[in-house]
Amino acid sequence: MNDSKKYRVYRGCVTAGRWILFAVVAFLILFPVYWIFISSITPPGELFKMPIDYLPDNPTLDSYKFLIENVGLFAKIGNTILIVGITLLISTVICSMAAYAFSRFQSKGISIAFAFIIATMLIPEVVTARPLYEFMQKVGLYDTYPGLIILYISAVIPFTVLILRNFAGEIPISLEEAASIDGATFTQRLFQVVLPLMKPAIATVCIINFITCLNNFFTPLYYSNGIQVLSVAIVQLPLRDNMYGVPWDLVSAMGWIILLPIIIFVAVFEKQIMDGIMAGGVKA
Amino acid sequence: MKWIPWILILPVVLIRGFTTLYPIFATFKNSLFDIKVLSGVHEFVGLSNYVNVFKDQKIITSISFTLLFVVVSMVFHIVLGVCLALILNMKFKGRRFLRTIVLIPWAMPAVVVGMAAKWGFNNDYGLINDLIRRFVSDFQFNWLINTGSARAAVIIMDLWKDLPFFAILVLSGLQFISGDIYEAAKVDGANGVQSFFRITLPLITKNVITLCIPFTLWRLTTFDLVYAMTSGGPGEDTSLIAYRITMEAFTNLNVGYASTLAVMLFAVMALFSWFNIRVMNKIES
Repeated sequence: MNDSKKYRVYRGCVTAGRWILFAVVAFLILFPVYWIFISSITPPGELFKMPIDYLPDNPTLDSYKFLIENVGLFAKIGNTILIVGITLLISTVICSMAAYAFSRFQSKGISIAFAFIIATMLIPEVVTARPLYEFMQKVGLYDTYPGLIILYISAVIPFTVLILRNFAGEIPISLEEAASIDGATFTQRLFQVVLPLMKPAIATVCIINFITCLNNFFTPLYYSNGIQVLSVAIVQLPLRDNMYGVPWDLVSAMGWIILLPIIIFVAVFEKQIMDGIMAGGVKA
Repeated sequence: MKWIPWILILPVVLIRGFTTLYPIFATFKNSLFDIKVLSGVHEFVGLSNYVNVFKDQKIITSISFTLLFVVVSMVFHIVLGVCLALILNMKFKGRRFLRTIVLIPWAMPAVVVGMAAKWGFNNDYGLINDLIRRFVSDFQFNWLINTGSARAAVIIMDLWKDLPFFAILVLSGLQFISGDIYEAAKVDGANGVQSFFRITLPLITKNVITLCIPFTLWRLTTFDLVYAMTSGGPGEDTSLIAYRITMEAFTNLNVGYASTLAVMLFAVMALFSWFNIRVMNKIES
């Protein structure tokens, strides 16, 4: 009897310990995000008050209003959606095509091309940045939508090709052979047999690339000037002349605007993101 | 029919080639020149840029912090990442919730993390000191003004952002270990600690080493975080090498020198990867 009581106490301690660990991890991750949120709805005057008010007394949307009226928030959101949208569309099409070719056709040239695509993952953007910047200016792609879109597409190509090729490799060739016996042409086989089967992988890759593109900071910072996207806007908010130079209320509001879609996205597509991460080891 | 695969792969090869091949050759070429855009200098200097690197105190500071950053951050990634993975692997209600929220730091743009951190570490209004003051009243400390604490703050934020992601990848390795092994160990009388060191750790070691390769390379190229958080300061104390290169190339417009540093970074990364592939092959066989 005594033993089973001891065991129950032990089990209880283990459960409590787990819950404490759980709470600590959740707190460390969520609290900064929460703090950015409450800062964005606190009036600027109360923002520089100590101790911090974690439940603001007079919540206000003034910072958001200021961003919309004076900083052109909607134009930046529009730019972001346009660039990311077109990037996802084009990169998905060309990467699926390439992934199919890399998985189905074997020749020396093709494996060299694949090795090249994967090897370029190793080249950091700071190494190529300056010559590429000058090249973009020379050919008139600097600060243009096509220029930015090309660079965004380029950034997602290696990961996308790698994941889709691995996935396409698992689709049995016998399915295509059966289709070609039934008289299907090459394009029919590609579009009616292979691509529909790749839909889940394509969806996963798109979800991860969406986050990668939203987070892209280097490209829009150095390859554009007039075309502003959300990730860059946060470091280009107008400075104030008063003692609190950096406008923290606007920074936190802008931060929250950038984070909100990302957090919703993570919550909704948690499973697909996890699958994609496991399959490819991604970095946004 | 022979050209069909080439047509399919042409777009990705062209785009990737256009953004990497030409620029990387140009960087190699520029590294042999003295190019200062502001003063209009453009002359061939051979390897003297490379020699200058070792005389430049700024760069030595950058390189030493980059090394410190990579090593300290990776040690914490491995130790705390494995711990967090074990927590995520426990069976309890709310596990799914925890696995979802650990993705949030990974999905956040580093520049937003950096901006928030810049404020969070502020002595007067910051989140960090406010939380500390709730336990230690009158606590005063300017994190981003002193060398040591600014460096610590950058490393802390880097861990906050990437460690949960590392843990998820370790978790994926943990999930391949079948429960039967633990059952057998339990029957043989092994306790939790023993089964961790004798079973779990050896089985995930390869997985963790594999993960260290990309995570180390990403640390070597970290730019956004210090750009937003410290701007490399105080002085040059937190200017990671990738940040330093970008500043030389785009702010100081000292293009030749920036290219030299870029080539050296690239060489280090290539060497590191080559070495790792060798080590991985050794482990495999």
